[in-house]
Amino acid sequence: MHKRLLMSLVLLAVLSVVALAQQTPPVKTHLKVGDPAPDFTLRATDGKSYKLSDFKGKKNVVLAIYVLAFTGG
Amino acid sequence: MSVDSIPANREFAKQIEITFPILSDFKRTVVKAYGVFNEEQGFGNRATFLIDKEGIIRHIDEGNVAIDPTSVVDACNVLQHKKTATP
Repeated sequence: MHKRLLMSLVLLAVLSVVALAQQTPPVKTHLKVGDPAPDFTLRATDGKSYKLSDFKGKKNVVLAIYVLAFTGG
Repeated sequence: MSVDSIPANREFAKQIEITFPILSDFKRTVVKAYGVFNEEQGFGNRATFLIDKEGIIRHIDEGNVAIDPTSVVDACNVLQHKKTATP
């Protein structure tokens, strides 16, 4: 009985460590307000390519980087 | 934008019924350039950058703060206001 309790505690401790390890560590960007935005060209779901600098002088751009269910976050 | 493949993003867009295109940074080059690549997990952390017409970053939200778009919407309004103030 005593052994079973001990085993449960060990299991709980292991699970806690796993849960802690899965927490996203803080990643801070080196970029600051006022910095030039790094240019990029990326393909989108509509099959077209989008280049950030193509919007220069035309539009403000909001770049939203999100984490999907598919990426596990 | 996310680091998912285009087919994964299409499926995501379908699920939540969005019609605008989503950028795919499958090679992780952009998340690395913007300093939000989470090496341990292999994907980009949640972040929002507001870039003005001159290509200058005007607002940054990172992590859980970036879930709520209020602050970046406010920053957009400030930019719009600036545009109309100085024609």
